[in-house]
Amino acid sequence: MRGFRWQLILALIGGLILGVLYSWILAPVRYVDTSPNTLRADFKDQFRSSIAAAYAATGNLERARARLALLGDPNTIDALSAQAQRMLAAGDSFGNVQQVAQLAADLRAQPGIVQAATARPTFPPTRPPVQGSPQPITSTETPPPQGTFETPEAISSPTPRPTRTPSPAPGKPFALVAQDTLCEPDLQEGLLQVIVLDSRRRQVPGAEIVVAWDAGEEHFFTGFKPELGDGYADFVMKAGTVYNVRVAAGGPPVSGVTPPSCSSESGGSFTGAIRLTFQQD
Amino acid sequence: MPRWLAFLLVLAIGIALGLVYGWVIDPVEYVDTTPNTLRSDYRADYVLMVAEAYGSEQDAATAARRLAILGSEGPGEIAASALQQARGYGFAAPDLELIQKLTTAMQAWKPPGEGAVP
Repeated sequence: MRGFRWQLILALIGGLILGVLYSWILAPVRYVDTSPNTLRADFKDQFRSSIAAAYAATGNLERARARLALLGDPNTIDALSAQAQRMLAAGDSFGNVQQVAQLAADLRAQPGIVQAATARPTFPPTRPPVQGSPQPITSTETPPPQGTFETPEAISSPTPRPTRTPSPAPGKPFALVAQDTLCEPDLQEGLLQVIVLDSRRRQVPGAEIVVAWDAGEEHFFTGFKPELGDGYADFVMKAGTVYNVRVAAGGPPVSGVTPPSCSSESGGSFTGAIRLTFQQD
Repeated sequence: MPRWLAFLLVLAIGIALGLVYGWVIDPVEYVDTTPNTLRSDYRADYVLMVAEAYGSEQDAATAARRLAILGSEGPGEIAASALQQARGYGFAAPDLELIQKLTTAMQAWKPPGEGAVP
């Protein structure tokens, strides 16, 4: 009888193993109705790019915000900013990068209610779609593509069409309005800070800055350090080198820019930083 | 109860428990899915995004490249399928119109090398 009891235990264990093997290997749960938050990172990047392109076309920030929330990023704006930098590093076209950066800037300028944590679908991906649930997003209604997940009540009412963060008017030149020498030991030595403003003194993201010197030229863009301002960009200069700086969209170059020599409190010296502020006419 | 029957019964219970564990308690998790597994309403909305961008950019090649992540079908088929889904989900008329225009463009579009349709 004792031997039989062991046989039963072995049969139970054997059955368990067979069951798990079947459910994990032979017939695992198939995810055929997934949501965007489960996408692989590179596909999420493509998703964000498409959202930004659609936003650039329609200007519908609430729709873009709801779509981004589906990706489940802990911080949507950071995710967009980081992606813009990755795209820039990968040599993506400036137009595409600018769309992503612009969307990040506009989201920052107009913080909304939808956060990733609340807009994420609350059902598992295996749940079948609720018939008729995906509600189209009209330009006057708050998105998202389906009503099958919880959205805050505050956004269920019609949302006015947002105003976009203005881009600089094409063709109008940017002129230097301030040049400051920064002798702050906390700043990186030789740092060139550039701030680009539009004609109403609002910071402009995605503005291309050109820095030229005897041995070369560098292009960089505002808006990739949104924590320092949408119109902010920086570049590290070498001591003893003279630079010309201009906004690529137009305007006179600022010549003779070179890292300043500063005195520290202890009597020593260090290389300071420079801040150039450009404003559109 | 015969011993063999008890043995089979316990084996079946074990299998059932194993299935419950593998399918319900700790199922295989997919965290890096591809867009072709997206639920149809998400796919339809993604196609709408592409259609919105296409409506402004009028760049069929870019639109086709964006649609390509949704599967191995041609962009025309993907857009047409999404159009059907969007109709079923009751998308607004302006959105349907955008997807319709995209579908038409994608059905006419040929990849480079296959003779582009103007």
